Amino acid sequence: MAAEPLRAVRRKLPTYLVVAPFAIVLAFPFYWMLVTMFKEDLDLYNAQNVPYVFNPLQWKFWESATTKHIEFLFEDTQYTNWLVNTAIVGVVVVAITLVFALPAGYALARLSGSWGQTAGIGIFLVYLIPPTLLFLPLSPVVARLGLQNSLLSLILVYPSFTIPFATWLLMGFFKTIPQELEDAALVDGCSRIQALLRIVFPVSLPGILTVVIFAFSLCVNEFIYAFTFISSSENRTISSGVPNELIRGDVFFWQSLMAATLIPSIVLALLYNSFLDRFIKGFTGGAFR
Amino acid sequence: MLENRRVLAPLLIAPAVIFIGLVVGVPFCWAIYLSMTDAIGGSLSGNWVGFDNFTTAWSDANFQKALRNTLIITFASQAIVLVGAAVLSHYLIRDFRGKWFLRLLIILPWAAPVALGTLGWLWIFDSLFSVINWTLGHALGVVDPSDPPQWLGRPNLALLSVIMVQAWRVLPFAVIIFLAGLASIPTEVDDASQIDGATGIKKLLYVTLPLQLPIALVALLFGIVFTAADFAVVYVLTQGGPFNSTQMLTTWSFQIGVNSGSLGAGAAISLFLFPLLAVVSIAMLFFARRAQVS
Amino acid sequence: MSETSSELDAQGTELSRGDVLKRAGAAAFAVSMFGALPDKALGFYGPLRYQHKQLAGELKILQWAHFVPSYDQWLDNTYVKQWGEKNDVEVKIDHINNALLFSTASSEVAAQSGHDLYQFISPPSSFQKQVLPLNDIVQEVTKKVGPMSRVGLRSTYNPRTKAFFGFPDNYAPDPVQYRRSILAEADVNLRTWEDVRKGAPKLKQAGHPVGLGMSNEIDSNMMLISLLYCHGGFLQDEDNKIVLNTGSSRKGAIEALELMRDIYRNGMSDEIFAWTAASNNQAFLAGRLSMTLNAISIARSAESSGNTGLSDDTWLASIPRGPVTRLGNEHVMGVYVIWRFAKNKEAAKKFLVDQQLGYREHFTRSLYYNFPAWTGAIKGGFKAIREMTKQDTHKPRGKYTILTTIAEKYTTNVGHPGNSNAVIDEIFNRYLIPQMFAQVAQGKTTPADAVRDLDREAKTIFRKWRNAGLV
Repeated sequence: MAAEPLRAVRRKLPTYLVVAPFAIVLAFPFYWMLVTMFKEDLDLYNAQNVPYVFNPLQWKFWESATTKHIEFLFEDTQYTNWLVNTAIVGVVVVAITLVFALPAGYALARLSGSWGQTAGIGIFLVYLIPPTLLFLPLSPVVARLGLQNSLLSLILVYPSFTIPFATWLLMGFFKTIPQELEDAALVDGCSRIQALLRIVFPVSLPGILTVVIFAFSLCVNEFIYAFTFISSSENRTISSGVPNELIRGDVFFWQSLMAATLIPSIVLALLYNSFLDRFIKGFTGGAFR
Repeated sequence: MLENRRVLAPLLIAPAVIFIGLVVGVPFCWAIYLSMTDAIGGSLSGNWVGFDNFTTAWSDANFQKALRNTLIITFASQAIVLVGAAVLSHYLIRDFRGKWFLRLLIILPWAAPVALGTLGWLWIFDSLFSVINWTLGHALGVVDPSDPPQWLGRPNLALLSVIMVQAWRVLPFAVIIFLAGLASIPTEVDDASQIDGATGIKKLLYVTLPLQLPIALVALLFGIVFTAADFAVVYVLTQGGPFNSTQMLTTWSFQIGVNSGSLGAGAAISLFLFPLLAVVSIAMLFFARRAQVS
Repeated sequence: MSETSSELDAQGTELSRGDVLKRAGAAAFAVSMFGALPDKALGFYGPLRYQHKQLAGELKILQWAHFVPSYDQWLDNTYVKQWGEKNDVEVKIDHINNALLFSTASSEVAAQSGHDLYQFISPPSSFQKQVLPLNDIVQEVTKKVGPMSRVGLRSTYNPRTKAFFGFPDNYAPDPVQYRRSILAEADVNLRTWEDVRKGAPKLKQAGHPVGLGMSNEIDSNMMLISLLYCHGGFLQDEDNKIVLNTGSSRKGAIEALELMRDIYRNGMSDEIFAWTAASNNQAFLAGRLSMTLNAISIARSAESSGNTGLSDDTWLASIPRGPVTRLGNEHVMGVYVIWRFAKNKEAAKKFLVDQQLGYREHFTRSLYYNFPAWTGAIKGGFKAIREMTKQDTHKPRGKYTILTTIAEKYTTNVGHPGNSNAVIDEIFNRYLIPQMFAQVAQGKTTPADAVRDLDREAKTIFRKWRNAGLV
């Protein structure tokens, strides 16, 4: 009986040997950010110091550290506003994306026959047009609609890349749902639209969750539009607000920059991680049983 | 009437198409028009010059380097991503103690907004305070602490740094896609391979990898698009330096179109990216469909 | 960081944070959604009081985020508010990171809408056609306080169109900042560039190399262009023709390139190719560099860091003399433009005039970073300015007075002896000069070839802008 756990560990050992190094290398910059954001200036800007710990090195290591950079971030910049703005833009754009992409993805997967494939590729190609090309021609559009310096400008423009992306992904997901499910519903007397709403969408929940996560991350990452369409500090998102205000001329507020990056990263990673289990379960369970 | 496929399909697709047409199509056409003029200084019109901007760009050494870099950075970083994600997902699909936490760490790079995460790397690669150099120099004694490698100052190292950061941030995304693909492999296939005696490495090579091919192609495709069309990483890390050795098409078009005021020329450079990605995408989608096991 | 700053900020942002955080989702959504409304609802600057005077309305200003945060705070919360009340205008001022001034300007021009006043930190010659000529207010200020400085004139006047495309507001001189004790110990002085060349290896040996960057950033750009001047290597002549590869310019440029290559090989390390604008600051503040060229942000950061050992030992000096002359660039040239699509041109013009005429307080509040473009804007000119800089209490006493000498005698515009025109603007923004120096230093090309290549490139750029009618 004592050999049981040992065998289990031996079996799992290769797993840990592979996964752990990856995890360490990938997450190392974040550990680095965590340490840096609490460092005193004199500690940080001393090339002789050991960078992984707080100097002067002591037992009560927190006494060599400081929270003043984090206080600066929250009190002397508009960081809270930026976080809220980013969240608002993300949520609204994802909602808009689903409204447009769900029907389109379904139609392309099921209803369009041969030209569906071509249309699908066409939609994906739209996604390839880079924002560095479009941001200048889009500026007069945004201005004429009176949306300059407003979050609405981003809410209008972001779906231009999330919708193609989402439509394409959803098309793929809908194709993996067996036609039999819908046919069964139709036989039972449902209209196509009812079948869509009552059978197909619930079963494709993992796919929808995937699209939500990816579309949200596209919005949070976006940088160029966020910077050019919004110029007032309080209306910015984190991607444009942080580099704008924490880099002044030739002075980088490194500690605050690290804190500003770490906070949303951890929150988003926790969010994604929780969703991940759900949608993987959805793949193994659900429609295939 | 709504039951009719022919009516329902276009009806469901129309909103998306109209939206895209207006918000992307119109500016895109305008950008194409701009690329054929000599527009400068932020104005949106200029004199017609036909394909001059394209030919000038093509014969410019900096453009050629930007094109080469786009290809190198994309394919090098995505090769790393592909191999890493394939291996990692194979082990992450299992259950083990601490999986949730390790997975959290793995997701972090992708969760960080790209501009901010790259700022973190800027500090990691700093010319004086680089933690990598400190570790290599003071801790391991592998390099001379007073003249450590300049990750952003030497052309080859700078290119390598960009590749590393791109691989770092795309890897978690690819892992997630692979996990989804692995999880969707029907259990019958699993059982069948067990019966046939294929386990461990054999299973990996002869069962899992082939089945993963379509999903791998999708992950690769997205990774390629994320990297080739990316602006933030190069812009924040090197601004295209040292002396334009890490320019990509996106950053070079920004440099020419915005910082130098040659709007038409910048638009032309940007437009080179589109057919490049289109060709790659179509090719990969074609292969993905062929590789799909129905 | 300080209590006052958070206090002041809290005042201004109180309503916005309150609105967004306290109210429920829908209300928060509504507030941040509708374009113009947040500006009124947030009431940063209070409601308009006198509705019917001539200048009533709104004035929108965009400028860079000054490296002295307290200057921006004073500007935003005191100066513009007071000016606004006196002139019945609601002033809104935004700050952005200087690296993005050009792209944001491009997008405003593309949109034909945005701010009224836009400040650049280098002469925005490429936007000439998009802005109002400002000859009238230039004349108004000149009439009141005397002629503007040469650097202001050459930065904003286009001799071909005979128009001032921008209003020069301020400039920052670019002094050498050095560690006196380290230089004394190594027995190095900085009188001429030859001294620097000879002293660099000694300083490197002492563990405190010189910090002369060759990267794609503003410090390298300014320093290397100044180095060219000192050796007589001029990009263009008085009439704005490209002359880099001819005669004495060619000789001077080659000498400068060889000098930097020498200094790099014997006195510096690879890090100088990977610098950002902050790198020389950080390296100096870490105690590593013995000297560098930069605006006084380094000296001021040293003072505020609390490291008196370092800040008391940090002295200022003028740029070393070269074989031909001693001349340096302004580190920052603050030029305002008024877009043609600006909504409140009258208020914009008055703002610029009033700001320049009252520049004394801007000078002190910016901790001597901003010198006025019209020296006479501060009564008593350079003499008075020198007295003011003497008042600074940081040790060594009187160290900032050299700033006045530099501003008076050794500061010129980028593109000297010609104007800072669109050609120079593009060469500057594309970092062609640091790239040339870096390539020579890294042995990728010879000085003669590099000069010839840059000359060729410059002439191509010249042709482009000549066709556009701007040079």
